[in-house]
Amino acid sequence: MNNTDKNIVKARHPFTEAFEMFSKNIAAVIALIVLFLIILIAIFGPTLYPVDPFDMVWMPFSPPGEEGFIFGTDYLGRDLVAMIVHGARVSIIIGLSAAFVTVFIGVSVGAMAGFYRGWVEEVLMRITEFFQVLPTLLFAMVIVALFGASLTMITIAIGAVSWTAVARITRAEFLRIRELEYVTASRASGANNFILMFGIILPNALPPIIVQAALMVGSAILFEAGLSFLGLTDPNVVSWGQVIGSNRSYLLDASFTVTIPGAAIFITVLCISLVGDGLNDALNPKLRQR
Amino acid sequence: MSLTNTALLKVENLGVRFLMKSNMLLGKKTYLYAVDDVSFEIQRGETLAIVGESGSGKTTAALAAARLVKAYTGKITLDNTDMLQIQKEKLRQARTKVQFIFQDPYSSLNPRLRAEEIVKEPLNSLTNFSSQKKQTLVNDLFAAVGLRPEQQRLFPHQFSGGQRQRIGIARALATQPELIICDEPVSALDVAVQAQILNLLRELQSKFELTYLFISHDLGVVQHMCDQIAVMYMGKIVEYADRLSLFNSPLHPYTSALLSAIPSVDQKRRENTKRILIPGDPPDPINPPKGCRFANRCPVAKDICFQKEPKLQNTKDNHRVACHLVDETAVSPLKHLL
Repeated sequence: MNNTDKNIVKARHPFTEAFEMFSKNIAAVIALIVLFLIILIAIFGPTLYPVDPFDMVWMPFSPPGEEGFIFGTDYLGRDLVAMIVHGARVSIIIGLSAAFVTVFIGVSVGAMAGFYRGWVEEVLMRITEFFQVLPTLLFAMVIVALFGASLTMITIAIGAVSWTAVARITRAEFLRIRELEYVTASRASGANNFILMFGIILPNALPPIIVQAALMVGSAILFEAGLSFLGLTDPNVVSWGQVIGSNRSYLLDASFTVTIPGAAIFITVLCISLVGDGLNDALNPKLRQR
Repeated sequence: MSLTNTALLKVENLGVRFLMKSNMLLGKKTYLYAVDDVSFEIQRGETLAIVGESGSGKTTAALAAARLVKAYTGKITLDNTDMLQIQKEKLRQARTKVQFIFQDPYSSLNPRLRAEEIVKEPLNSLTNFSSQKKQTLVNDLFAAVGLRPEQQRLFPHQFSGGQRQRIGIARALATQPELIICDEPVSALDVAVQAQILNLLRELQSKFELTYLFISHDLGVVQHMCDQIAVMYMGKIVEYADRLSLFNSPLHPYTSALLSAIPSVDQKRRENTKRILIPGDPPDPINPPKGCRFANRCPVAKDICFQKEPKLQNTKDNHRVACHLVDETAVSPLKHLL
């Protein structure tokens, strides 16, 4: 009775709690910091280290540390530091935009299927299954080979083969949430289908979609690396996968030309996975109680 | 139950069915008839209770009455408006007159919205009030349901079950409806809180001249709230009477069994009433039996009960019952058991 101030509960947004949960996960926080540094490199690196990655600056296969080239040079004598720094930009951009395409297609399809049910669901889920059973790398290769190896095409190709997981997750969440009473309550309050789908159900379905999107960035980077390794890449831009691909014949003679960009991919994808994992723990209310 | 025009809500021969499976080749469809030929009406300012066990179709009937579930047949008249015919703008206006209070206060509030936003939701979609007017209304509503003004900014998970149900009630009151459908509003709450919420509902009823359609499986709760009671079993109304008549002289064996199951702290009452146990489960609702749907569990069922479906008939005093074993004399077929 005497402590009225103490009785006043502060309004806490569900995302505030998720953030606190996330910050308790040390691995995820470290990964997030590393990821942040990588993104900084991707944004400011080329300005701070203005060496053209396509310029032949020194003897080929100069090992790391020699003559001031921290990572050494590749088979054409190009500076590997410049290639990593410039490649970071391409890899991150592809990762993010492919994840965006994935989430956009996946959420649209999943939301429609889960909300309308009936024949809409049947048709959309059969289409989803069709894309699921396609061999993804092969299908992406076909798209890129047919329409040209530009960054946009690579992004679309990656998006086109990986949206199915997001669609299924979104549909599952919609199926669960549409039966909850607050959705009926909103319907009784006069909300139309559009508001119900995107104003009420989608925000509540977001947590697993966010996690999947975060992991998608990592797998899109890997996918791009795979395509580049096979030579299906825009020859006018550097990406990490492309560096590996172009140096792969010299794997035994100058392994650093492959392992350094490989490590860059490894670290980035690992960090993204750790962050995604942290997000999963933070946003999943069932794990929260543990 | 005169069929006068003062009835706020009048439901006639309502039917709701759900598609269970459809065979595309044969064009054959199997339906579950969740609500089958149900009629009832509520007078202004009164409370009608629909009682029945889980799966009896009471919630579906209520949802259909508010056009939240599609009815395939029947007629619903709310305040002289045919609810099943109207579209768009008219429907929007009609929606302001019927609001819902839900069973589970944990799933009926959107966890992403603040309490005030939840209460404002119907105002946003159904009215064109200025944001200032909305805020004033929300302030009043919070006071009316007994919540503190500073709690408006909180999120649902920061409230207790009873408080959450108060938010749900405030939301239902927001558009100043005439009819509120209470779908088991207290069955998810513990007993002490139940009493508070029931008292609040009664208080609000006299304050705002509300009409309630009260859905419950708990006859003890219904006894305190209602003027009229309809008992549903497997999608049909089996008994329909005013409260005193139903509680004092139940006619349908199912109603008698339900009434005998009300727990009591009164020693005398406990000794005087025998529990009527009804064995087994309701039959498969997809293939309901030919005769009376209660026959397989009824302690006094006769041959005719398995052959012919009983119709809801008037006995004396507007006490309606669907049972072959009840005649005009209105004597319970279970008289010898009680």
